[in-house]
Amino acid sequence: MNELLSFWAQWLRPSAGLPTVQWALLLAVAAVAGYLVQRHSGLPKVLGYSLVGTLAGLAGFGGAVWPLQGIGLFLVELAVAVVLFEAGGRIPLRWFRHNPMVLVQSIAESALTCAAVYWAMLWLKVPAPVAAALAMVALAASPAVLTRVVSDTHAAGPVTERAIVLSTLSSLYALTLGSAQAGLIERPAAGLLGQLYPVLVVLGVSVAVGALLSLLMRLALRVMSPTSENTTILLLALIAASTAITAHLGGSAPLAALLGGMLLKQLHPRPWAWPRQMGTASSVLTMMMFVLVSTVAAQGQWSVAVAGSVAALIAVRLAAKAVGVGLGNVGSGASWRQALWVSCAMTPMSAIALLVASQLVLAAGDAGEPIARIALPAILVMELLGAVIAAFAIYRAGESSKPWLDLNRGSNPGESGNES
Amino acid sequence: MSLEAFSHSEPLTLGVELELQLVNTHNYDLAPYAEDMLRLMHKTPLPGSVVPEMTNSMIEISTGVCHSTSEVLGQLTPIRDALVKSADKLNIAVAGGGTHPFQMWHERRIYDKPRFQELSQLYGYLSKQFTIFGQHVHIGCPDADAALLMLHRMSRYIPHFIALSASSPYVQGHDTAFDSARLNSVFAFPLSGRAPFVLTWDEFGQFFEKMTRTGVVKSMKDFYWDIRPKPEYGTIEIRVFDTPLTIERAAALAGFVQSLAAWFLVEQPFEPSEDDYLVYTYNRFQACRFGLDAVYVDPATGQHMPLREHILQTLDHIARHAGAHGASGALHVLRGETASGQNDARWLRERMREEQLLAEVSRQAALRFRGSL
Repeated sequence: MNELLSFWAQWLRPSAGLPTVQWALLLAVAAVAGYLVQRHSGLPKVLGYSLVGTLAGLAGFGGAVWPLQGIGLFLVELAVAVVLFEAGGRIPLRWFRHNPMVLVQSIAESALTCAAVYWAMLWLKVPAPVAAALAMVALAASPAVLTRVVSDTHAAGPVTERAIVLSTLSSLYALTLGSAQAGLIERPAAGLLGQLYPVLVVLGVSVAVGALLSLLMRLALRVMSPTSENTTILLLALIAASTAITAHLGGSAPLAALLGGMLLKQLHPRPWAWPRQMGTASSVLTMMMFVLVSTVAAQGQWSVAVAGSVAALIAVRLAAKAVGVGLGNVGSGASWRQALWVSCAMTPMSAIALLVASQLVLAAGDAGEPIARIALPAILVMELLGAVIAAFAIYRAGESSKPWLDLNRGSNPGESGNES
Repeated sequence: MSLEAFSHSEPLTLGVELELQLVNTHNYDLAPYAEDMLRLMHKTPLPGSVVPEMTNSMIEISTGVCHSTSEVLGQLTPIRDALVKSADKLNIAVAGGGTHPFQMWHERRIYDKPRFQELSQLYGYLSKQFTIFGQHVHIGCPDADAALLMLHRMSRYIPHFIALSASSPYVQGHDTAFDSARLNSVFAFPLSGRAPFVLTWDEFGQFFEKMTRTGVVKSMKDFYWDIRPKPEYGTIEIRVFDTPLTIERAAALAGFVQSLAAWFLVEQPFEPSEDDYLVYTYNRFQACRFGLDAVYVDPATGQHMPLREHILQTLDHIARHAGAHGASGALHVLRGETASGQNDARWLRERMREEQLLAEVSRQAALRFRGSL
């Protein structure tokens, strides 16, 4: 593969550089794969994108570096920030006042996942610092995968909405605690204040940037229509700027975007109309993210030796999320059946888990290798398998606007089968 | 199949049904939460009932048997409050209005209940386009023949009901230029429109028997008439109202119907005739299209006059009977709004002019329903 690329690099000298051509072609193939996967199996397009990324990664494609850094890191952070800003805007804080059990449900599933994965890894003789890092990685569900699956299936309903909210909140915890943990590894501290310091820095910077982002959007919305294309461009530009600034200041860019979305929803309870406008720009960005994540994750050192640990992490995580969602379901307004499908819809792991893992690996230095050895295959498997489980959960919950199996045979009379 | 007997009911008693929209709080599109709402609502003891409707973003509430406008409001208020509380718990909102301004019919899903599935099989896409929201008012009648007489007298006031309740100017994201576009969706159904002009229950029974013999209908539920007899309740049911944006207006409209019915029973002010229906569809169209600015053709005299003027005249005629049934306050509000040309369709258009975003109009309509605006 590398010989082929070096021959190609000598033969072809494009103006924008060879990596640009490689990435453009990879995305083109991913777009075709995503379409074909959905057209012929009814599975989400994200599966096609991730498969192409996986194959590229396994074939030794060197366009993405691990641990994430440079332009690759920025692109993943930007795409995650866009998704999380929109997902944060779906969380009105007043909901938790009317239904505190949703918050209990979120904390229960996240805490249980973290604890269960940690203890499972210790039981498998994984060193404690590595187990702690893996627990943090496993905590994050993926609103990015879930929202793409929702978009593909044209889904709406209580299971869909709650799964997005719980996934977003788990991302909030993972990004905060993961960044703090990375800070602690880099600057070990003995006292309580010393241990809190990294958490406060991450949170402080992210809150400040998030608040600034939401205030600027709030000001813009005083004079601009949310349905205007220019408002969408402004939003994307502001998120891009905040992504670049936040990491530089020691905060978490996706966390800042998430908090920005939540704050804007509080300051501006009006309907969010720009997601429709974001359309293709957002789709290209997230598609690139899925390809990049799977390319990077596929570069992990696959071996039979770690397969048991990876399988254990995945199994324990699935069970812990299901039990946590179930425990907090009492009095939360959802049925037991819905709780089951919510926990299934929360199984994908993708870019946020990769960002947390990358941060922890970078901070851990030499100790980062064992973290990556288990985390990367787990992320890759759960990006692929998670998307399928989430799609299945949404169909079984009856919240998709189109039937799965009829995609191959044309749409059912009376049921919509529009291509998005 | 023969027609069931007309049950006894206390004359002039009222029952109100309201079909309501369930919307999400993110972009205020319709949200498929009917089943969850029903599950939560069943935990609260309430007057009347809460039941599912054709598609799973709709819910229907109804009062029990009421004697006055204030009793209607007294029953609707706790139901509304319980609905709002359940909606808050699910992070959705409930709104009135005859149509959802920008929902897409093809995205709707039929509620999983045998009758709705059967209707969906029969009517195809029409059943999803039936995601429209109406208010039905039942009025108790002394006996079966009196019910038919009242039904045909009431038919002259169909334009009045339409104009006063109109709240569906927007369909699929566009201003239809109608105040009540909802009724255009009802017209697509083969058994919609007016009831046959028969004034005795025996004759009506013969008509029903002939219709069932054709296999086209099985029960009275298959008729989508603007007004239809409801023999099991001993009432007639007026079905042309759009669901208003507030329960106060819904109660006021019920008071208007009750006062009209009292006027008919006490004063027997006119005899209906088949010729009344010569202008029925025209008047109905005018009211749907122009609301309170419509032209009304008097079926008896053929005189053309502004509908608004005829509503005000009617309010004068029934004022004494409204007083006797405690509906004076409600009719006073209707009078004021009629005089100023204000109905819910106009309110929605004013909000749209101000906000330039239909989703925001929906959000404000939901706030209005819960009494916060």
